[in-house]
Amino acid sequence: MTVLTAESAGPATLQAPPPLPASLDAHLTAAETRATLRVQNRMLTAVRAFLAGQGFQELLPPLIGPVTDPGIRGSKQVDVDFYGHKYKLMTSAILYKQATLAAFDKIFYIAPNVRLEPLETAVTHRHLAEFHQIDVEIRDARREDAMALAEALVSHTVAEVLRDMPAELELLGRDEDALREAVTSAFGRTSHEQATAGLVELGHPQDPGAEIDWRGEEILSAGSRRPFFVVDYPKGSRGFYDREDTQRPGVLRNFDLIAPEGYGELASGSEREHDYATLVTRMRETGENPAKYGWYLDLARRGIPASSGFGIGLERFTRYVTGRTAVWQASAYPKLPGVVSA
Amino acid sequence: MSAVLSAAGFPEAEVRRRARLGAAAAFPDLSVYGTGLVGAQPAGPDLGDPLERTRIVPPVFMPERLEKLIELAREPLYTDVELDTVIGGFASRLPLYVSAFGSTQVASRDLGEAAGAQAGRLGIPMVIGENVVPVNGYRGASEAEVSSMAGRITAYTEAAAASGNEEYGGVVVQQSTEDADAEVWNLLYSDPVSQPLLDAGKLAFELKVGQGAKPGLGGLTVLDREAAGRVAEQYATQEVFGAGDRVLRLSSPGTFTEEILRQQIRLMRNNFPRVRVWVKLHPGRDVAHAAATAWASGADAVTVDGAEAGTAWAPSGFLAQVGLPLGECLTRIGRTGRCLLASGRVWEGTRAVKALALGARAVGLGRAALLAVDEDGDAGLLRLAESMALELRMLISAVGKYRVDALSAEDLLLPADVRPPLAHVLH
Repeated sequence: MTVLTAESAGPATLQAPPPLPASLDAHLTAAETRATLRVQNRMLTAVRAFLAGQGFQELLPPLIGPVTDPGIRGSKQVDVDFYGHKYKLMTSAILYKQATLAAFDKIFYIAPNVRLEPLETAVTHRHLAEFHQIDVEIRDARREDAMALAEALVSHTVAEVLRDMPAELELLGRDEDALREAVTSAFGRTSHEQATAGLVELGHPQDPGAEIDWRGEEILSAGSRRPFFVVDYPKGSRGFYDREDTQRPGVLRNFDLIAPEGYGELASGSEREHDYATLVTRMRETGENPAKYGWYLDLARRGIPASSGFGIGLERFTRYVTGRTAVWQASAYPKLPGVVSA
Repeated sequence: MSAVLSAAGFPEAEVRRRARLGAAAAFPDLSVYGTGLVGAQPAGPDLGDPLERTRIVPPVFMPERLEKLIELAREPLYTDVELDTVIGGFASRLPLYVSAFGSTQVASRDLGEAAGAQAGRLGIPMVIGENVVPVNGYRGASEAEVSSMAGRITAYTEAAAASGNEEYGGVVVQQSTEDADAEVWNLLYSDPVSQPLLDAGKLAFELKVGQGAKPGLGGLTVLDREAAGRVAEQYATQEVFGAGDRVLRLSSPGTFTEEILRQQIRLMRNNFPRVRVWVKLHPGRDVAHAAATAWASGADAVTVDGAEAGTAWAPSGFLAQVGLPLGECLTRIGRTGRCLLASGRVWEGTRAVKALALGARAVGLGRAALLAVDEDGDAGLLRLAESMALELRMLISAVGKYRVDALSAEDLLLPADVRPPLAHVLH
């Protein structure tokens, strides 16, 4: 993979994000928004058809629960007063996906999620406080199976849009050749360790023990012409459900999928931890109080199936396909971190 | 502010005197000047406390005083001693910080906010205790009688700005295992109220592993039954006071192993890259191992809370018999070159100098700060700090040094039964 500097970054690498429109109706009725949402609709049709063809069961996702995914860097969960009990809006439905594998081997949701992201993410071009995931989980699968599926799903969806939506892409000024080139060859693959070393070499101060920061991710993304996976994140950078490699302590069996041209992260996934004692220990290592995960740990004691899965950020994916400047432009009702809006 | 606190077993009267008199309280009462014989201490040192049995021992020959003399072209005075330092990533005007007070009754709204405002004026860091948010609330709208997290932070930052201390101090917010449920850190990190602190690099999060007053035990507070009902989903309670209105609310201290501590610190750095990371340890027998683990994982500061410490309510047996004394913790940890912070019964200059000479970068004021603001909500802590700064300057110059970080174990005479601190090289 060629890593370029920020200065040579692609069209998506911008310093100042475009401001939200003056009103919701101005946003909704803009020709660019309408074209973007038509493409998103086509993408969803393609995703559903593709996954159905692979034998996946679509379920409607949960919205609230006593706990939700804690593995989100820096963001706050939204509390819901549930008849006097503190519930959470889903930041992701990962725990429910694992539970559902007792009934279905291959599942997916198009799941709405809410994360009160730190204010600094308002300028990353790729954070929304409310967004959707194409949330996939496969029983008895290894990480590599999930990565292969994510790659096939992304490539198929992009190809369908290229075939069926040329007018919209033209209206939006999307470089179709770049998009086509990106998905006609195999996705790249690098490790977190390699990616970190590359960033440090470029003078970007990336902490080798942490998640790749927003700027670093943008630099990596801008230096690639096709999507690529970053695998093997270090423990301490992700949630308790990303499985630790038994052969390499401290390394997680997980991955991120990064879009090219500076668009950044599209998806995160992993092989899941499912062993009860390991889950409890990992909860402590991630600073969690196991007591609040009662239903999940009860289930784990009875046995959670082995699995791998991932979540693709639908608005991020749409932004990449349509070439929009900021992820909020790929949402009908955008909510930027810290910005009060409709 | 009325004096409502008491602190049995703590030199309360002396602290209150300092809160009233400031630097003058570093000396015997002026009324005995020229008439009284003032050699002996009013109360003897605690013989079980190695720090109390340690003496500060000035040398005769002072090459560092010569260096200062050359720098100044005059004989140095104790007023030439520089006390500013860096505490856990924050510039501080004094080697002092205000330790956490929790949600117990003694840190009511007036005291919490008064302490915050005075710490801001002093330009020293302030720690806000764990469970303030789950018990007292974040913005404090519904809990009028107690100090909210946001109220304390605002009092601190406004006072700091008004005193020209924008570049000094910082706010440190604790979280322990059970208030992870309240997502205190996530809440602060994503709240617009915190942005000025984040932008200025003046926010730290402190992982509370334990505390001095109750080593190995979690938080204990006494609640009335109604309050206990409100927090019933977060905390367990036990009936230990009979059929009355009071129940004991108990917290788990949380389980730590070397790997759990390492990963929790790494996750803090990963999730909150714009804050400093502090770790507070109880005085466990493996405190040196735990401190080394914390530093190696990227902690900006490790606080060791000696068994003498604690504003909190604790079982009498724990207060008297459990945990390593602060001096023993410091000698076990040794001099490492890392930022070690010490708390536990610190209220005057000699104990502070001993802790600093044994390797601490700064000392925490817990009970002493509370008593001082209880004595005078406007200036009690300012005066206490003023008296300590005077003593620190006198003592540091007496051992022939002119910067607070020049203190070392050679400046102390340790009791014969205490091992001198080892110098470690940490990787």
